[in-house]
Amino acid sequence: MKFIIQRDRLVQSVQDVMKAVTSRTTIPILTGIKIAATSEGVTLTGSDSDISIESFIPKEDAGHEIVEIKQSGAIVLQAKFFSEIVKKLPTDSVEIEVLGSLQTVIRSGKSEFNLNGLDAEEYPHLPQIEENNKFHIATDLLKAMIRQTHFAVSTSETRPILTGVNWKIENDELICIATDSHRLALRKAKIETDNHENYNVVIPGKSLNELNKIIDDTNEPIDIVITENQILFKAKHLLFFSRLLEGNYPDTSRLIPNESKTAVTVNTKEFLHAIDRASLLAREGRNNVVKFSIIEGGSIEISSNTPEVGKVVEEIQSQSIEGEDLKISFSAKYMMDALKALEGTDINVSFTGAMRPFVIRPLHDETILQLILPVRTY
Amino acid sequence: MKEMYPKNGRVILHVDMNSFFASVEMAYDPTLKGKPLAIAGNVEERRGIIVTCSYEARKFGVKTTMPLWEAKKLCPQLVVRKPNFDRYRAASLGMFEILRQYTHLVEPVSIDEGYMDISESFEFGSPIEIAESIQKRVLEQLDLPCSIGIAPNKFLAKMASDMKKPMGITILRKRDITKILWPMNTNEMHGVGKKTAEKLTTIGIHTIGDLAMGNEIQLKSLLGINGIRIRERANGIDQRPVDPESVAEFKSIGNSTTLPRDVSNQQELFHVLESLAETVSVRLKRKNVLASTLGITIRYKDRKTITRSKKLPNPINHKDDLSSFAKQLLLKSWNGDPVRLLGITGNDLVEQDHAYKQLDLFSYEKDAKKEPLLNTLASLREKYGKSIIEKAASHNVDSSQNVGTGTSFNKDFLRSFPDKKHEVD
Repeated sequence: MKFIIQRDRLVQSVQDVMKAVTSRTTIPILTGIKIAATSEGVTLTGSDSDISIESFIPKEDAGHEIVEIKQSGAIVLQAKFFSEIVKKLPTDSVEIEVLGSLQTVIRSGKSEFNLNGLDAEEYPHLPQIEENNKFHIATDLLKAMIRQTHFAVSTSETRPILTGVNWKIENDELICIATDSHRLALRKAKIETDNHENYNVVIPGKSLNELNKIIDDTNEPIDIVITENQILFKAKHLLFFSRLLEGNYPDTSRLIPNESKTAVTVNTKEFLHAIDRASLLAREGRNNVVKFSIIEGGSIEISSNTPEVGKVVEEIQSQSIEGEDLKISFSAKYMMDALKALEGTDINVSFTGAMRPFVIRPLHDETILQLILPVRTY
Repeated sequence: MKEMYPKNGRVILHVDMNSFFASVEMAYDPTLKGKPLAIAGNVEERRGIIVTCSYEARKFGVKTTMPLWEAKKLCPQLVVRKPNFDRYRAASLGMFEILRQYTHLVEPVSIDEGYMDISESFEFGSPIEIAESIQKRVLEQLDLPCSIGIAPNKFLAKMASDMKKPMGITILRKRDITKILWPMNTNEMHGVGKKTAEKLTTIGIHTIGDLAMGNEIQLKSLLGINGIRIRERANGIDQRPVDPESVAEFKSIGNSTTLPRDVSNQQELFHVLESLAETVSVRLKRKNVLASTLGITIRYKDRKTITRSKKLPNPINHKDDLSSFAKQLLLKSWNGDPVRLLGITGNDLVEQDHAYKQLDLFSYEKDAKKEPLLNTLASLREKYGKSIIEKAASHNVDSSQNVGTGTSFNKDFLRSFPDKKHEVD
C-alpha cells in the first residue's frame, strides 16, 4: 500500500474514527486504526466493538485531488501514535507506505516515521447491514433530538437498559425517550421511511453522544438503518455503527401525567437564571435542591437553604398560574438540564402534586417534553 | 487575680481522666482499688481485647488493645471486667458538669477528656488554683483521678496533661518548649502517629525539635498541609479555639466486630452485616442523621484490611437499606478468603431536616401515597413547632437503653450534651 494524502483531510478523518477507539479493549487489534487504500480513495476504520466508525476520503472532491493512490492495500496502525503523528507532521501532504512485513513509513516534508503495523486481515469485519430498510432525517434535526434527550440517560449500571435512549418509530414518527428514573426527556419528529415499518430499539447514550460530535450541523439528510442488534447512521463519507442495548425499555407513556393540578407559565430564561442563582448555595451542600413555591399575586418563589452556607430567595413573575397552590422541591441540576434542552421563549410547567412527577413543555410545542421527579424530605 | 493571666493570650486546660473505665469500675467497687484491673470485651472469646487497664496492671506491661490472653500471661492475677457503658456515660456527664462550672467554653473531645478555655475565668482564681480545684472536686465527688495540662493553647495543654499521670497538673509555657518538648521523639507528639513519625525519620527528623526547625517545603511535600501544621505545633503554635459545639460535627458513624472465628460462609457474613446495620441504624437515628455514603471494612485472616465505600443514591438510616447496600459492597469487594472482622460505616452524614430523597419515576407512587399524612405532619409542625410529632421509628430511644451500641470511641454519648449544657449555663 502506498498513497499520498492531504494532511488536513487525514487529520479530520482520524479524529472522527478515534471517537470509537479505546485503549481499554480486550481485543488488542482494536487499539489500532485500519487504513485501507483502493482505487476509489482511502477508508479509515476505528472500533471498540460497541461503536464502529468508518470514514472515507475520496480520491477527488469537487475536482480537487485529495489522495494519490500509488498502490492499494491495507494496514492497521496503533491509534494512539498514528493520531498524534499525523496531527504534528510538518507539511500539508503525507505519504504513507507499507513495506514488507507490516513496516509502515509515514513521510511528510523531511520527517519520516517508521511504525510497526498490524495485519489488516486480522481486523474484525464491520457488521454487514442490508440497506433496503432505511429511513432518513435531516442531520441538524437528528443532532437536536440527540442533544435534547441523551443527557437524561442513566449513568448507573443498576438498570443497564436505562443507559440508552429509547427510539420508537411508529406511523412515520420518531420518538426519542431517555430517563435515569429521576427525570425523563422526550422528543418527537416526523420522518420519512421507505416502507412504514415500526421499530422499538434502545441505543447506548454514549454512542449517540459520539455520533453527535462527528456529524456536521447541516440540513443534509442522514440515512438510518436498524437491524436486530445494530443501528447504522450513514452520512456522506461516514458510516457510524452502534450496537443496540438488549432488553425491553420500560413503557414510559403511562408514567407521563396527562392531567394537571397546577399549571404555571414562565419565561424560560428568567426561570433558568433564577434556578441557577438559587442553586449557587445548594451546590455547596450535598443536595443540589431548590424549593419552588407559588405565592400570592401570581408570583413564584424560588428558594434554597444550605445551613452551613446560607440561604437565597428569589421571586419571579409568572405569566399565568392556574389551579392549586403548591410547594415542591427538586434538583436544580435536573431543572437546568431540562430548561437548557427546551427551545422557545416561554415554558409551561404542569404539576400534579408535591410528590409526583411534573412536566415542562415549551408553549405551543407538542414535540418535546421534560419530566422531573421532585425530592421529598425525610 | 487577673494579674495571673496573660494580657494577650489564652489559658487553656486539657483535662484527661486517668484510665477512665478502670477508674469508674473502682469507684463503683472500691475493693478493686490497688489491684491490676482490665476492662475487656467478650471475656470468653478471642475478641476479648483490653479496652483500658489500671495503673497497677500497666506495671505488668498490660496495654490497651492487647488481647486478653496475652495480658493474662503477663499478669496472671489480672482482674477482668466487662465494660459498663452506662456507668462511664454517667461519670463523664458528671465530670463535664464540674468543668462547666468554671467556664461555658468546654469542648468535650471524647468520653474522658476535654479542653477548657479559662482565659476569662479569673474570678475562680489563678489557673493553677482552678486546675487544683477541678482535680479535687472530680476526685471527691466522683472518686475519679484526672491529669490536667495548663498551657496557652490546645496542643500544648494536651501535651502537658500527658506528662504527669495519674493526678498530675503540668504547666507548659511557650518558653519551656525548647527545654521540655524539643528533646521528645516525634511519635510522642499529639497528632503524630506511627506512620507519620516513620515518614519523618526518612527526612532526618527524629525529635520534636528537629520538626520545629524542619524545612517547610520538604515537610509539605512529604505530608502535605499536615506537615506545615505539625511543624507549627512543634513551635508551640496552635490557634484552634475551644469550641463547645465541635462535638456536634461528627463525620461518620460506624460499628465493626471481630468474629468469634474466621468465617468464609457468605450467609454468615450477611448475618453479621445485618446485625451491624441494626446498630449503626440505631445510632444514626439517635443523632437524627442519615448517611449519604456507606463504607464497609473487611479484615481477613492474615490481618489484611480493606475498606470500600459507595456513594448512595439517597441518604439512608434504615437498617434494611444499610444492610442491603453493605451486602452489595461485600459481594463486590470480598475475595472469598476467611474473614476475621467486618464493619459498616455511614459517611457524609446529613441532618434529617436537610436530607432529601430523590423520588423515582418507577416507584414514586409509594411515596406519593404518604403525601396526605406528610402534609398533615407538616402543618402540625408549622402550627405547634418542630417536635410536636415524630414518626415512631425515628423517636429518640430512651437513653437508659442506649447501652447496646457502645463503642470504644463513644462520641454518641457526647451528643446528648447540648440539652444538658443549657441547664448548667
